[in-house]
Amino acid sequence: MLRAALSLFGLPLAGAETTEERTLEPGTPGEPPPGLALFRWQWHEVEAPYLVALWILVASLAKIVFHLSRKVTSLVPESCLLILLGLVLGGIVLAVAKKAEYQLEPGTFFLFLLPPIVLDSGYFMPSRLFFDNLGAILTYAVVGTLWNTFTTGAALWGLQQAGLVAPRVQAGLLDFLLFGSLISAVDPVAVLAVFEEVHVNETLFIIVFGESLLNDAVTVVLYKVCNSFVEMGSANVQATDYLKGVASLFVVSLGGAAVGLVFAFLLALTTRFTKRVRIIEPLLVFLLAYAAYLTAEMASLSAILAVTMCGLGCKKYVEANISHKSRTAVKYTMKTLASCAETVIFMLLGISAVDSSKWAWDSGLVLGTLIFILFFRALGVVLQTWVLNQFRLVPLDKIDQVVMSYGGLRGAVAFALVILLDRTKVPAKDYFVATTIVVVFFTVIVQGLTIKPLVKWLKVKRSEHHKPTLNQELHEHTFDHILAAVEDVVGHHGYHYWRDRWEQFDKKYLSQLLMRRSAYRIRDQIWDVYYRLNIRDAISFVDQGGHVLSSTGLTLPSMPSRSSVAETSVTNLLRESGSGACLDLQAIDTVRSGRDREDAVMHHLLCGGLYKPRRRYKASCSRHFISEDTQERQDKEVFQQNMKRRLESFKSTKHNICFTKSKLRLRKASRKKKDGVANTETTNGKPPRDLGFQDTAAVILTVESEEEEEEEEESDSSETEKEDDEGIIFVARATSEVLQKGKVSGSLEVCPSPRIIPPSPTCAEKELPWKSGQGDLAVYVSSETTKIVPVDMQTGWKQSFSSLESLASPPWTQAPAITPLPPCPVTTEESQAPLALPSDPLLSFAFPPSLAMAGRSCSESSADLRQQQELQPLMGQEDHTHLSPGTANPRWCIQFNKGGRL
Amino acid sequence: MGNKQTVFTDEQLEAYQDCTFFTRKEIMRLFYRYQDLAPQLVPLDYTSYPNVKVPYELIGSMPELKDNPFRQRIAQVFSEDGDGHMTLDNFLDMFSVMSEMAPRDLKAYYAFKIYDFNNDDYICAWDLEQTVTRLTRGELSAEEVSLVCEKVLDEADGDHDGRLSLEDFQNMILRAPDFLSTFHIRI
Repeated sequence: MLRAALSLFGLPLAGAETTEERTLEPGTPGEPPPGLALFRWQWHEVEAPYLVALWILVASLAKIVFHLSRKVTSLVPESCLLILLGLVLGGIVLAVAKKAEYQLEPGTFFLFLLPPIVLDSGYFMPSRLFFDNLGAILTYAVVGTLWNTFTTGAALWGLQQAGLVAPRVQAGLLDFLLFGSLISAVDPVAVLAVFEEVHVNETLFIIVFGESLLNDAVTVVLYKVCNSFVEMGSANVQATDYLKGVASLFVVSLGGAAVGLVFAFLLALTTRFTKRVRIIEPLLVFLLAYAAYLTAEMASLSAILAVTMCGLGCKKYVEANISHKSRTAVKYTMKTLASCAETVIFMLLGISAVDSSKWAWDSGLVLGTLIFILFFRALGVVLQTWVLNQFRLVPLDKIDQVVMSYGGLRGAVAFALVILLDRTKVPAKDYFVATTIVVVFFTVIVQGLTIKPLVKWLKVKRSEHHKPTLNQELHEHTFDHILAAVEDVVGHHGYHYWRDRWEQFDKKYLSQLLMRRSAYRIRDQIWDVYYRLNIRDAISFVDQGGHVLSSTGLTLPSMPSRSSVAETSVTNLLRESGSGACLDLQAIDTVRSGRDREDAVMHHLLCGGLYKPRRRYKASCSRHFISEDTQERQDKEVFQQNMKRRLESFKSTKHNICFTKSKLRLRKASRKKKDGVANTETTNGKPPRDLGFQDTAAVILTVESEEEEEEEEESDSSETEKEDDEGIIFVARATSEVLQKGKVSGSLEVCPSPRIIPPSPTCAEKELPWKSGQGDLAVYVSSETTKIVPVDMQTGWKQSFSSLESLASPPWTQAPAITPLPPCPVTTEESQAPLALPSDPLLSFAFPPSLAMAGRSCSESSADLRQQQELQPLMGQEDHTHLSPGTANPRWCIQFNKGGRL
Repeated sequence: MGNKQTVFTDEQLEAYQDCTFFTRKEIMRLFYRYQDLAPQLVPLDYTSYPNVKVPYELIGSMPELKDNPFRQRIAQVFSEDGDGHMTLDNFLDMFSVMSEMAPRDLKAYYAFKIYDFNNDDYICAWDLEQTVTRLTRGELSAEEVSLVCEKVLDEADGDHDGRLSLEDFQNMILRAPDFLSTFHIRI
């Protein structure tokens, strides 16, 4: 057997795998030599898990191979390929070992392979869609399955009576009904595998898929009832048994659902208290869901239903409670497990099919079954849809019905059930096994292969992956309320009424009980969508300018971090996402003379190539906490926020331009050349991705243009965004202006708040572009840090800041020389600046009013100048951190580094 | 049958049929619903065109509606004079709009009106803020609300005038087919 396994594995796996197996081989026979062995093979001790791991590995590698060719996978569903692979592997096993090994065992299937798939589908089930179509789903699942069972069973029996089935098949009506019960259920695994690739519209998908999940209860009941009837013998079945059978349908389904809901409740409640042990959150999700499955199985209730309900019920609360990382972990682990299980199932299915010892072929039975299940499925769908359409708001049209009938795939559940039959009680088991295998293969392979072309040919409405829009969210809610209200007015208690009721109940009691307070507060969906949109925008923006990210090796978390949201106050978040001003990048454009540019290039080369002083991450050894990277993540978040903001303002400028025209005009002169460059950059799409340092100039320009627009935008929207803190940046500019050219004009009217003036940089600092490069990063960070960054970082910031302040005094004296300019150009940065500072108590600096004025007065007389100046605070900060590492938090360095590459 | 004769004349019924998307039977059913709202106010005889209004207080105080953020708005939009008091005609109108037979444009128009709090035929930022505030039951800060509204406007504002006209709204709402397909009530 071992040999069989080895040779089996040796074939599909290339390279390492093979050699591994080969080395194993000689070892095994030469078992433990007496005395102290230097080297010992203990194959038998590891055999079982080793084989499991190898199987999964084979399956995964097979998947990789399949996906190497896009053409194949676009035409053939993966499940087909896996079954075929299974057939091949099974054939090899059979040829080598002379007997079939590694078949799909019902026990393994039901206890280990099925739960992950069902959990995955339940957890990620779009609950709203599911409940919207619950009526249809239930009808198809219950009535449809009953119908299929009885018609198929009876028709097969009729076939036998008609003499079309060979007399070898010894089966009575009850046997056929039993067979009908297991063959008629649509299989969730198969449906999922095929439909996920077809992308039909959501309603259709949810109906077919929901049916396949929910009909489990019916299948299990029918199967058990029929099985026990068969075992009792049809003569002994009494009327009460039929009643019991009907009653058990309710017990099994409702019981299963109840078990699932209880565990969902427990799960949600538990995750409410995991704030300090984030690391076990994903584990809890899996454990409790699995416990639900096992419990239901133990009580012989519908386990599939239990897990589905558990996933469906807990998701909302669990997602709100657990941290962002845990959510990602849950998502990925779930998907991984499910896809693993699915792969293995299909492969094992293929392997099992080659075991001819279990087969007994009867063409009449096989053909009859195939025809009947197709025909009765179609007929059942048509009949039920006709009834349902009398009640449905959005009727299911003919094409939908075709797809639904055709999408009734049978799968591993049927196979496992038929294997479970007792040959002594069901003499025709072998025939049933063969028929089931054929049916499963036919539906998965033939129907799976053809459903895609069919869907295309019939022009079934595909699911369009339109991005979630705020409007959609908004209208959905509004319409719900309106409909509920209208229903209420008329006293008609329809669907909307109950949903409204439920939502209120949920809001008042359940959510309060099951969600953390912080999570509860921010759970609002509209806000969620808003947040997600912003993140997505940021990501797409970053994608467009992908070099920014790739060069720094940052990856953006695709979702907002729930935990950080919850733990930093929402208003902070708001402010961030709202403030349109992010001046960091602007600062870069000090590139003026060729010499400067060279200088900068050199510097960047050095900086990038030589040393990375503080980029030292503490190795985290704790098994229980992963808090180590939270800061890192926050850095990313800061970054993200900024990108988002920039993008947003960039967009919004489009329609704001008309209002800002006057301002634009003022600035136009200074910006003209930059804009030209920038526009070409942006419109052409993407700037070259991997920028050497030589390319920095171009990059800088792009960003800059956006920055510019942003500023305008900001000045318009300054009222709403006043809270945003740009003060630091602004100040920096002011001082630099003062230093360099006393003649900068500014407008005094805006910005009543005091300014912080950073230390004036030395002339050399100003002139050196690289400083600016660092600076821009720093600026960006600085403004954000005060808001988002945790306390430790803030202290670091403060320290550096205060040191800057101490340095700042000299440049000051020149401030008065500034000549005021027309008011308009004052950027929102100014107005926003003050707010950030107050938020941090330690940062309260008192500045002489004259300083404040000076700061304000700095306007965009020359963009170059300004940008230079903006760099200054950063520079100062940077210097500080370098000089006195002890005071500053090491993370700053990291941030700066990232920034420098921007 | 006898009831029908006493409540409405045939001409009335025909007129109602013309103005709404209902059959006679449905009109009668709706009438009894309406009458149920305020049995003491609404006469069972409408042949003389009585000028009866169910006051908003009565509708708004229904326990089911207590938590509905749009109850007042709906009543206002569908009542003739915008005060929320509903006549039978208004009542029929409301359900007619919600019926499956009603064309999408009509639904979109009324949805638009519901959003348009200040009745200026544009959904402006202020209107949206009202909507969002109601939808979130005041859980978002003013700042958050205004951010969301900005974004909403930005998404749907086709002509970039900072507010949504009826065309903008229709464009946006007809693009997402699910919206209006579910905007029905079966009586």
